[in-house]
Amino acid sequence: MNELTENPAAATDVFPILEKSAKDLRVIGAQRHLSLSDVEWAAIQGHFKTLKREPSLAEVETIAQTWSEHCKHKTFTSPIRYTEGKKTRSIKNLFQETIVAATEAVKKPWCLSLFTDNAGVVAFGKKWALAFKVETHNHPSALEPYGGAATGVGGVVRDILGVGLGAKPVLNTDTFCFGRPDFKGPLPEGSHHPMRTLRGVVAGVRDYGNRMGIPTAGGGIWFDDEYRLNPLVFCGTVGIMPQWAVKKEVKPGDLIVAVGGRTGRDGLHGATFSSANLGADAPSSAVQIGHAIQEKRVLDALLAARDKKLYGSVTDCGAGGFSSAIGELGADCGARVRLENAPLKVSDLDSWEIWLSESQERMVLAVPPRSLKALEAVFAAEGCELAVLGEFTKTGRLEVMHHSSVIVDLDMKFLHKGLPRIERAAVWNTPPAVKPAGGVTKKAGDALREMIGHLNVCSREWVIRQYDHEVQGGTIVKPLQGVRHDGPGDACVIWPHAATGDMEDFSCFAVGHGLNPDYGRIDPYWMAMAAVDEALRNLTCVGADPARAALLDNFCWASPEDPKQLGALVRAAEGCRDAAKGFGAPFISGKDSMFNQSKDEKGKDLAIPGTLLISAVAPVPDGRKAVTMDFKGPGNALYLIGRTNDELGGSLYHRILGRTGGDVPKVSPAAAIDGFKALHAAMNRGHVLSAHDLSEGGLALCAAEMGFTGEFGCLLDLDECPRDPRIYSNETLLFSESPSRILVEVKPENESAFLRHFGKSTKSAMVRRVGQTTANPILKVTGLEGSTCLEEPLKELKETWQAPLPRILG
Amino acid sequence: MSVKIQPTNVHLIEVKLRNEFNDAEGAAAFALLKEQGLSSLKEVRTGRIYEVSGALSASQAHQAGKDLLCDAVTQEFRLVPASPAPMNGMNFWRVEVWLKPTVSDPVGATVIDAIAEGGLPRPTGVRCVHLYLLNGRAVKAQIEKAVAKSLANPLIHRVVVTEAHP
Repeated sequence: MNELTENPAAATDVFPILEKSAKDLRVIGAQRHLSLSDVEWAAIQGHFKTLKREPSLAEVETIAQTWSEHCKHKTFTSPIRYTEGKKTRSIKNLFQETIVAATEAVKKPWCLSLFTDNAGVVAFGKKWALAFKVETHNHPSALEPYGGAATGVGGVVRDILGVGLGAKPVLNTDTFCFGRPDFKGPLPEGSHHPMRTLRGVVAGVRDYGNRMGIPTAGGGIWFDDEYRLNPLVFCGTVGIMPQWAVKKEVKPGDLIVAVGGRTGRDGLHGATFSSANLGADAPSSAVQIGHAIQEKRVLDALLAARDKKLYGSVTDCGAGGFSSAIGELGADCGARVRLENAPLKVSDLDSWEIWLSESQERMVLAVPPRSLKALEAVFAAEGCELAVLGEFTKTGRLEVMHHSSVIVDLDMKFLHKGLPRIERAAVWNTPPAVKPAGGVTKKAGDALREMIGHLNVCSREWVIRQYDHEVQGGTIVKPLQGVRHDGPGDACVIWPHAATGDMEDFSCFAVGHGLNPDYGRIDPYWMAMAAVDEALRNLTCVGADPARAALLDNFCWASPEDPKQLGALVRAAEGCRDAAKGFGAPFISGKDSMFNQSKDEKGKDLAIPGTLLISAVAPVPDGRKAVTMDFKGPGNALYLIGRTNDELGGSLYHRILGRTGGDVPKVSPAAAIDGFKALHAAMNRGHVLSAHDLSEGGLALCAAEMGFTGEFGCLLDLDECPRDPRIYSNETLLFSESPSRILVEVKPENESAFLRHFGKSTKSAMVRRVGQTTANPILKVTGLEGSTCLEEPLKELKETWQAPLPRILG
Repeated sequence: MSVKIQPTNVHLIEVKLRNEFNDAEGAAAFALLKEQGLSSLKEVRTGRIYEVSGALSASQAHQAGKDLLCDAVTQEFRLVPASPAPMNGMNFWRVEVWLKPTVSDPVGATVIDAIAEGGLPRPTGVRCVHLYLLNGRAVKAQIEKAVAKSLANPLIHRVVVTEAHP
């Protein structure tokens, strides 16, 4: 027995729970924002009964933080009794049975670190590795949009600094879901208007990313009024590191060293806060203001220390602060901490506050004692504070002291494995097929203009221009493209020469995303499939290798305690599994955010639509061959890859008509990946001038965007589209959102070479010449009956596309 | 051993753009307040107040304001007196947006380091306050409500609205 456990009575701030009823504990938990369930309280009570003592306040707080939804992902890892129609089955661990199972089935040797570290890591050439992580910062951004979003960026950047022995951030991405900024309805007291949320979130991402010198070049925005009380803020970072730095190890005897910012009262209860529905009683301490310059100092010092091999492991102080970081680093051995050594912002902090504070810009390192002096010199050179908080042990215990008091003495096994697994019920009923009905039919031109000016399609330049997407000088394919640098790109391509220092190596990587909650309203399974397809399609369009794509999943859902919500989540996770297997693309990392629901102005629960963001990263073998989406000249052939089906369910076209029903777009991964691979091969040979994916608004919108971005027109013939022969409607061919389709521009002299890539080896890919580009900037489409069904000047379409955000946001 | 206790002073250093310069931040704040119903507003000018605590004397605070916190070409600064501003500010309002004490202040932290690097005594604390000078007919309660919905977040900010000189 060690010195601490011999004298448990020395623990201060005793927090009596042993004699409390479940009701009492529920009240106490609510007062302290602990977010512990009755079963979890019972497990804690049971544990301390066997120890024959009451816990300390810091111990209860530590357990609540470690067992929080944010840290343990209880929804995804707990058993589920899933009922679909009349069949019921048990899922032992949704995460293992879907995301992990698919990744194991795909088995890619270039995956270097999966699911265990702060980010997923894949090989990038022979020497380098790419680390990618996307985090959500939804609850903090709902409360304080600027600070919440900024610290979201800061947090995900630290994830990249804390993966392996640390990677250099080379790209930030941001994807948001907001209520419409021109929302006119009532809002509950204390909530922010979506316009304010949007402005604040964009400013927060801008300020943190720009000040750290990391390009923000990928992402997107989705508007839907059901996000008005619960905005979603997905912050992503890609980092690059030498492959030798992927592995990390904590050894007993290593010093626990905290670096970076000082500890304050800010950020308390951020982790447990994420396990609860958002309400008016949210703690103000859960919100922080980030300090980007401080984090930049940490970044520079840490990478210098990494290259000198001065530490054996590192992780970031995120949700749960020291409690989470040291608890995780020492999970397999043990840790002894002396909190009086922690540099503080204010001197009146309680012990548990120092231990749990989520003050930003802090990292924790495991440092061999012999390296400490050299490490101190590196951090001092960057003006970055460093403190030795204790040492890692081999006791298997988490021991925390503050001056002479023991404030935590917990068995690591109980802390990390003692969480009771609670079975939840999940229900999914496949909605019956309903024929499209309702709404008012519009002329194709009117519909196109309305769609192109729709908030979910219109130009994001108002947002993108606030971000520095050029810093580090490696953004080859930029978020805004075309002759005037203002068209919508599919994905960004980054040449990380600033990190590798190699100007002769043109290896690049691309990052793309897929998200469409409207499909999820009909069937979350197909939403997940479509999101994976869209992310891979976007990568393929810029020249990335779809066979080397790695995926990240970010689920944002309402309360999983509602069986219907959980059923939809299971369905989406199974869609992810089947998509990953079908496309042969592994998941390397992910994150979930639950309880995204709030009371509206009438006191009713307003849940977000189940939302899945798929992010994908893939190498672009030679950045000089990357492709953009704008038409490059007149007289070039236009090819459509992929088949169009009558599946307008959940489409933008139906939304603007006010029409319901119809089939949701369905993905055939085998055919899709064949098409993507063939296109990639053609791009590598230089046979493709431009490529753009067909997503919201279908073929018409895709051609319009390519046209007005390149300032060339096009002629399309719908009769030539590869399609379901049962389609007799021009509108379906113009606006269907069938997945896996890409419109490609090819020089006439390269057409036969281009088509050879879609020959015998690609059995299921469909490709047809559907038209040609023209010098006259007009989009002209011939319908199935042989007459012109759509003729629109591209200049006007572009003006309509560019107008909405500046008009609304000023 | 004798311990020398440093006196603690608190100085408010106010920095704002000279009136002859266009205030883009003020124009943005003006638009936001108009959106919130302050339709009679004519102009908003912005500035910063640095609340500097520590052993700095008034002349040292003046030096920090002059050498560090103020751009002599485009901005002007003053040490705000401890006594309240005279109340003859018909249609002129002063809005101060303070971060609550539990919220960290990165700008303040940077200013502490910068003052010390400038050779002055290291402050024990600096808080940075956003200052908005409003010109236009309005009622205090109306301003407080509009500011809470546009320029400040009651969760992390404390807002002080007073009538003020132009």
